[in-house]
Amino acid sequence: MPRALIVSAGFLLAGLLGLGAYFFPVFQAAGSTVSAGSIPGLEPQRGSNAPFTVLLLGSDDDAKFPPDRLNTQSMILVRVDPSARQATMLSIPRDLWVPIPNEGPGKISTAFQLGGPEGAVAAVESNFRVHVDDYAWVGLNGLVKLIDQLGGVNVTVTNPVMDDFYPSDLTAGSSPYDYYRVAVLPGAAHLDGVHALQYVRSRHGDIRGDFGRSERQQQVLLAIKAQASHFNVADLPTLAKALNSEIKTSMGLTRIRQVIAIAGQFDAAKTHRVVLLPPYTSDGVIAGQDVVIPNWDQILPLVHQTFP
Amino acid sequence: MKRAFISAGLVVGMLAFGVGVYQAAGFLKAGRAHVQKPNQTTGPSLQGSIYVVQAGAIYRYQHGTFAQITSEAGWMQPAADPQGGQLVAVRRQANESDLFLLERSGRVDAQLTHNGSSAIELNHWTFYPRFSPDGSRVFYAYDAKDPYNSFRVDLAIFASPADPAATRSVQWTYPNQYTGGDVNPIPLRSSGLIYTKFSIDDQSKVHSQIWYQARPGGPGVALTDSAADCPQPALSADEHLLAMVCMNGARAPDLVAATFFPATFSLGAPNILVKGQLVGSPSFAPDGKTLAYLGPGTSGGGFQLWTVPVAQSTAPTPRQIGSGLDLDATSAPVWVS
Repeated sequence: MPRALIVSAGFLLAGLLGLGAYFFPVFQAAGSTVSAGSIPGLEPQRGSNAPFTVLLLGSDDDAKFPPDRLNTQSMILVRVDPSARQATMLSIPRDLWVPIPNEGPGKISTAFQLGGPEGAVAAVESNFRVHVDDYAWVGLNGLVKLIDQLGGVNVTVTNPVMDDFYPSDLTAGSSPYDYYRVAVLPGAAHLDGVHALQYVRSRHGDIRGDFGRSERQQQVLLAIKAQASHFNVADLPTLAKALNSEIKTSMGLTRIRQVIAIAGQFDAAKTHRVVLLPPYTSDGVIAGQDVVIPNWDQILPLVHQTFP
Repeated sequence: MKRAFISAGLVVGMLAFGVGVYQAAGFLKAGRAHVQKPNQTTGPSLQGSIYVVQAGAIYRYQHGTFAQITSEAGWMQPAADPQGGQLVAVRRQANESDLFLLERSGRVDAQLTHNGSSAIELNHWTFYPRFSPDGSRVFYAYDAKDPYNSFRVDLAIFASPADPAATRSVQWTYPNQYTGGDVNPIPLRSSGLIYTKFSIDDQSKVHSQIWYQARPGGPGVALTDSAADCPQPALSADEHLLAMVCMNGARAPDLVAATFFPATFSLGAPNILVKGQLVGSPSFAPDGKTLAYLGPGTSGGGFQLWTVPVAQSTAPTPRQIGSGLDLDATSAPVWVS
């Protein structure tokens, strides 16, 4: 082999090693997430511009709950159509009373506790009759770290969010049953991770209860998307290092890269936001529990306008 | 021997190249915007002084430079008295906030409220202080608490004498329940009050409206339509112009100004000063010809100080004051002569 070729190959190898070292945290994080193939029913559609559906799951993963017994406080079904640059977000009430596959009737929030991500995906697919391509799960610290890594998010706080019994479960040294007071003031605001979490998690002072915070969660998701549009692939290692084990997803690197690439192209005004208020749902009490009863005759036509 | 040196040199070169690629990849990061303290930046010289808040400290902008006048100790939402001698500001702690009188230099004169309690839910919030036009009273938003439901925490507008020895307060407004309450009081020379009221309709939509109220506990009248969704009023010193932030059904609001007709409790046609941007907390210059407001910089991130002329037939051009700031967007700039 000519010497020049050997030297060139050496420099190429050194360059690749440099790149590999830089992106190592990304590969490490990807290795710790669940691959799509290991979850029955998750069959990601191929093609860079093909629409896809992601189930976003959020849990209170503080010390009150054993790590393997978490509910999902938040479930948002997101349909992304890259070619049309449109997205739809459907918030699923955590107390929605549904048949949970292999378990029987229960609140949909317990599907994750009973069956992990597979259980949550199966409950959503079977009840809403949709196909879920991927899921992403985040805990409390994961959301805080994600937003802090993005440098905070900008939102318009629609009205004062007041809560005298906000859980103090992320405060070092305090009991997970302690609480403190929250006042997120209205108007344009730049929220760091802790304050954004207060905004999306508080519900005691809102007449809309869980529906109110579902709307705020969708608002912050859009703000995260807007902030992420200022980032690029070279920011992935820093994010991966900070979020390692805080976020679990079936999305592969290709899908994540795709999401980051298209984040800046989406017009927030083209993002359709759906919360299943009455008449889609109604309040009720079943087995001594306050629940949200679905009106499937209303819900399914609405869902199938967007979600295949 | 010479060959060995060349080989070693090439290996070192390859290693350096690999490290260089690693470093170069890092330089491609967009990363987050760098935040600096206001007194590390400068801007154009403007009439009077503007007070802003960053990270719990109050800064005064004067002659093109910022000066820090308080420590970073939870200070927010300063307001100036009409005579020009004092500021009233909020000091926010973990579970409560209180009002303090400060000299313009930032020195604390007196504490007006005492909202702290050892029982967490018995603490109170006090926000958005404003002096009455004669300087004798301070209006503010306060959570009076519902004795029958500890989950209900709604702010209402109260007024108290601007005297630390006084204890009597008067409740002016009664908020819609579980909306978070009434905010942004602006006491008028006529002894009436302008403020922001929130409501939530059957479709779960939040509406913010600017209300006028002639007397404590009075019925009040909405100055803006609920569909326009306009909070955050600011009034010019002569009380002829009202600035506000209006959503108008869009995701990003407009900053608008309109003529205020106190005799008929109405507003003139709104003039859009900044369209479709995440703006907030407007405040008039002493002469009423310019508005200061807060909004993100061009690449997102924290809130910066901006000014925009009010009376112009063509679309006015906003001007950014300083750069790289991350100002408290809930603390409206205070512009005094």
